[in-house]
Amino acid sequence: MIKSKQLNKPQLVLVVDDQEINRDVLGMILEDYYEIIYASNGIEALSQIEANRDELSVVLLDLLMPEMDGFQVLERVRKDERLNSIPIIVLTAEKNAELRALQMGAADFITKPFDMHEVILARVGRIIELSEGRQLISAAEYDRLTMLYNRNFFFEYANRIYNYHPEWKMDAIVMDIDQFHMVNDMNGRDFGDNVLRLLGNEIRAFLGETEGIASRFEADRFDIYCKHYDDYPALLERFQDKINAMSKGASIRLRMGVKPWKEGVEPVLLFDRARAACSMVRGNYKSHLMIYNEDMRMREILNQRLLNDLRRAVENHELKVLYQPKYNVQVDPPRLSSAEALVRWWHPELGMISPASFIPLFENNGEISVVDNYVWVEAARQIAAWRDKLGMTIPVSVNLSRVDVFDPALEEIFDRIIEENQLSHNCLKLEVTESAYTENAGQLIEVIERLRKKGFEIEMDDFGSGYSSLNMLSSMPIDVLKMDMAFIRNIEHNATDFRLVELILDIARYLKVSVVAEGVETEEQLAMLKNAGCDLVQGYYFSRPLPPEDFEKLIIKEKNIDRGNQA
Amino acid sequence: MTIRELYANIGGNYDHAVQVMKMEKLIDRYVRKLKNSGVGDQLAAAGETMDPEKLFEHAHAMKGVCGNLGLDDLADAANIITEEFRPGAARKLSDAEVKEQLAKIDAMYRRAVDGIAAYEAQ
Repeated sequence: MIKSKQLNKPQLVLVVDDQEINRDVLGMILEDYYEIIYASNGIEALSQIEANRDELSVVLLDLLMPEMDGFQVLERVRKDERLNSIPIIVLTAEKNAELRALQMGAADFITKPFDMHEVILARVGRIIELSEGRQLISAAEYDRLTMLYNRNFFFEYANRIYNYHPEWKMDAIVMDIDQFHMVNDMNGRDFGDNVLRLLGNEIRAFLGETEGIASRFEADRFDIYCKHYDDYPALLERFQDKINAMSKGASIRLRMGVKPWKEGVEPVLLFDRARAACSMVRGNYKSHLMIYNEDMRMREILNQRLLNDLRRAVENHELKVLYQPKYNVQVDPPRLSSAEALVRWWHPELGMISPASFIPLFENNGEISVVDNYVWVEAARQIAAWRDKLGMTIPVSVNLSRVDVFDPALEEIFDRIIEENQLSHNCLKLEVTESAYTENAGQLIEVIERLRKKGFEIEMDDFGSGYSSLNMLSSMPIDVLKMDMAFIRNIEHNATDFRLVELILDIARYLKVSVVAEGVETEEQLAMLKNAGCDLVQGYYFSRPLPPEDFEKLIIKEKNIDRGNQA
Repeated sequence: MTIRELYANIGGNYDHAVQVMKMEKLIDRYVRKLKNSGVGDQLAAAGETMDPEKLFEHAHAMKGVCGNLGLDDLADAANIITEEFRPGAARKLSDAEVKEQLAKIDAMYRRAVDGIAAYEAQ
């Protein structure tokens, strides 16, 4: 490990005295401990300070010198922002001069003659230590790129404002740059840094007009804690205009989330909500500003609650699997072919929760695999139960989410489920959503191929709802293509939609895969799909998703048709 | 002549010089620089014109240098002129008394410089 002492910069000391003997004697005292440079008058001293400003640890400055005296040097250095962090120790024997120098910003004084070496070394050492400590604090306090506060100091100061001035109505703003890594990748890091610097400057200019503090929280995220502001759209536009002016040719979009002041809400919470609002801007191409409101808060609370309750829900079987039948419509009458397993959550306190409320949430944080596993086990058990009770095996489609595909234990889990219920592999159809194809397609194809070799049928779900599906069709080994219900909805009224459906059916025929049309609700839709050659249909026209005991009735009905046919 | 003897000859405080410079060879090195430092000549020139600013500046310089070299008598004598001409301070001596003090300093300074020259020559 590198010791902190090794990280210290070499300590450079400037000795300024017009008398060579004095300079030499002082140099001799210090030379074992410091690197020494010399100046023999004030003008030389200033030019040495300027030239070595990043390396100088301390200046030892005689006060009475020809050309330019020490007081003038002291004054010039203190007024110069680039130099005023360099500590100056004055060399004097006069009490009045000591006082005046200290009042002018000298860090300490050393008396002549230089007969107390230990005192001189101790003073120089202490002043350097203090100054380096201050510089370290200052480096930690500010982000060097933007000269805004760093995260920890920002929150410390925001908390102080909150605690010491509770009467100030402070808003929280979180701002970031959409796809900033792409800005860096395409234009280079220096350009990216210039964008951040510019934004920092503009935020500081804004804070010059209103009271507040700001931080570059991390990378491209900026946090601003300022007195309540009325026109955030205008503020975002102001920042965006600045960025546009400097980034001609590069499209850079700012996003802003705001949580307006609310009594009793401390900064960390205020910024959590502003950040949540900022995240909600993601993917919204119309507006890049989001003001946090009560609905968002309720949604966040609900989301957190669902995340917390999921494991318990699995243990207590609060998740219920419903089954929606799929019918083969190329025979008359249409025959029950298979089912899709759909999950619902009966929460003991919140009641029935729609999958639209929890599936995307769990997909985002990976917890969807818990739900998927639960459904696989339930569906397999149900297939076996129907088989054992009714003597008929109904294959059931279950979801395979992106996160499942990357689970190294996936095949083992399926093997166990199949074995425990003594099913054949084709009893479970695995529905892979189109969105799963967008990331690491190579690995996905590998896993799908292995599952398919075991005998599982693979269905591409929601075909046509996303992007890249046509491309994936050529490389993805699938058995069934499920047409997104958005295509079906308007086929009776919109010739283009119907033409698209026909095209998808053509593609499927060419690839020799069967097609399931989802969301079929009317007789007319059914007729059109049947005539166009669609094999399987699922939707409210036939049945809503049913609990197992009701689905059982459909199986019995199917068996009766079989019996009738046999008779 | 040893360095200690030189100090005795020129009215210096060798022990004080040791206190500042710690080692004899450093005292040797720095005391040799006195004659080229110009402090004595500059103070004498200021005495010619009786320019109070110059008198203060050069007496102050002599006091500092001699203080560090352990030439305490010279430093003390220069200090009288320094305080006499310190900006803002009231004059206590007449011009004649100042000239007398300057002559004393000059004599002490010459004695020191001559002594150092003799020490160097051996």
